[in-house]
Amino acid sequence: MEPLIGMGVLALMGAAATIAGASEDLESDVGSQSNPNSQVQLAPQMMYPHRIFNKAISGEPPSNALMAAVGGASASVLMGAYSMSVVFAIAVGALIAAGIHGTYATTAYLGRSASQKRFRQPIYLDMVRSHVPVMMGFAYITTFCILVVSYLMTSVLGHPFPLTLLAFIWGITVGAIGSSTGDVHYGAEREFQNVEFGSGLNAANSGNIVRKAECGLRNGIDNSWFCAKFGGPATGLAFGMTVFLSGWITTIFDPSLGANIGWLSIVVGLAIILILILWNRRLEVFARNQYGPYKEDEEVTA
Amino acid sequence: MSAGGSGGGAAQAIPQNKLIAFGAAGGLIAIYLSYFMVQFAGPAFSFIGALGAICAIVWGAAAVRRVASYGLGTGVPSIGMLALGMGVVATMFGLAVGGIAGPIVAFVTAMVIGLVIGALANRIIGMGIPIMEQSMTEIAGAGTLAIVGLSTAMTGTFMFDVVLTEVISTGYIALIFIAGGIAILHPFNANLGPDEKQDRTLSTAFEKGAIAMIMAGIVSAVSAGASAAPTIVIGLAIWYVSFSQYNKYVVRDAYDVVGTGLLPKEEEESE
Repeated sequence: MEPLIGMGVLALMGAAATIAGASEDLESDVGSQSNPNSQVQLAPQMMYPHRIFNKAISGEPPSNALMAAVGGASASVLMGAYSMSVVFAIAVGALIAAGIHGTYATTAYLGRSASQKRFRQPIYLDMVRSHVPVMMGFAYITTFCILVVSYLMTSVLGHPFPLTLLAFIWGITVGAIGSSTGDVHYGAEREFQNVEFGSGLNAANSGNIVRKAECGLRNGIDNSWFCAKFGGPATGLAFGMTVFLSGWITTIFDPSLGANIGWLSIVVGLAIILILILWNRRLEVFARNQYGPYKEDEEVTA
Repeated sequence: MSAGGSGGGAAQAIPQNKLIAFGAAGGLIAIYLSYFMVQFAGPAFSFIGALGAICAIVWGAAAVRRVASYGLGTGVPSIGMLALGMGVVATMFGLAVGGIAGPIVAFVTAMVIGLVIGALANRIIGMGIPIMEQSMTEIAGAGTLAIVGLSTAMTGTFMFDVVLTEVISTGYIALIFIAGGIAILHPFNANLGPDEKQDRTLSTAFEKGAIAMIMAGIVSAVSAGASAAPTIVIGLAIWYVSFSQYNKYVVRDAYDVVGTGLLPKEEEESE
């Protein structure tokens, strides 16, 4: 393949992955999946009932892997058995995945809320009607983009894995990155906006999450709005970089051209990891120097 | 934190032994029935394999519920993945060496693997959960039957050469792995809390098993040995019935089901 075409495909994959990462994180924030979920689950038990969606499907990696595998399998069946066009097959596959994701989200919210009867946590049906379509929308975007990445890998870059398996692997990856990158923004900051910034989570504050919004009661869509400012885009960049950089080294230094170039690609990969580690370290030191440790006596200026 | 269950054994209306019989016998009988019916009466009967998978998924969810009630919390999803992980290894081995006895060989292999892992968890890692060995054995067996059942629904047979070319090398094994695994782990995870009820959890397992069945039906469209329409239609019917039943249990168990509203009154005043 022409190197220029390879780079173009790679750029397209990176762009699709960036969108997938951002929508994955915002989707998990609407339903408080993954790490922030433990406090959402704990809140009613500490006598803080709330109107925040409790989407406990599983961790983010398995639930995104389910979406991507369902979409990938449906799309490859539509392309294989019914010779449907690629774009249409991927769109229908993503639609089926989003629908199934909606049923999982619904059973999780209803079940978790019903199991907290003794703490007086009601089930709000308008929450199901308002939140589930939003999550299905984000799930559709995530699955569609993951399928675009996987399809380009199998058809253009000639990856030996079948579409469903690649989609499954990328689904786990996007879930893992969303869980580790984006959730910090929601779980550590948004849920505990009522305590001083940087004070950590005191055991006495456990479960005492912010339940009231600027106007009315806070819900999952408010949280998604907050996370769309930083957590979602940061997740998108992280996943986009993962897809782009991991493809870039083997596109530039194609191992199929010889063993030496293959080893060179591994060296370049290690160099990228080293650069990222040093960069992250510098960022952390800079942030610590700039904002310093939490001081109890200091007045809050904000 | 009490987020991970009550810390003791789970209350159960249906005894576990009945669920073991339902999952193991139901699963194996359905898988063999599906195989022979497809052989003698045509590919339309491949859906019976998925019914066997649903039996196994309900059994697996009940076993996860029992072991996870000892306060596993975030370990619930891991145990579901572990079930299918053990299941994939046992299925590959069993179907490859077993021939017509493949599902039984796979099932027995899985239970041995599960027993060893359960013993390791209790004796070496020292988790100290009294039913760990039994539960891991059950979960591994259920995971295996779910995989064999869904493979049979997708291809109409459990013969290794067909499963290898139509399920494993096409990548659909990834779908079986994740759809079956989440169907086993999600029911307890979705209903986790102090007021969890066995019947509600198991109705979720039926519903999620039906989703796996529908997906197996979609995939079977590419296979000559299985037909898609019966699997999808029957799967949709089971999904509808079990979701309605689940909804009834939710309304029965919940503190209150309201269209919309503010937070409960008592709590507002105490603030």
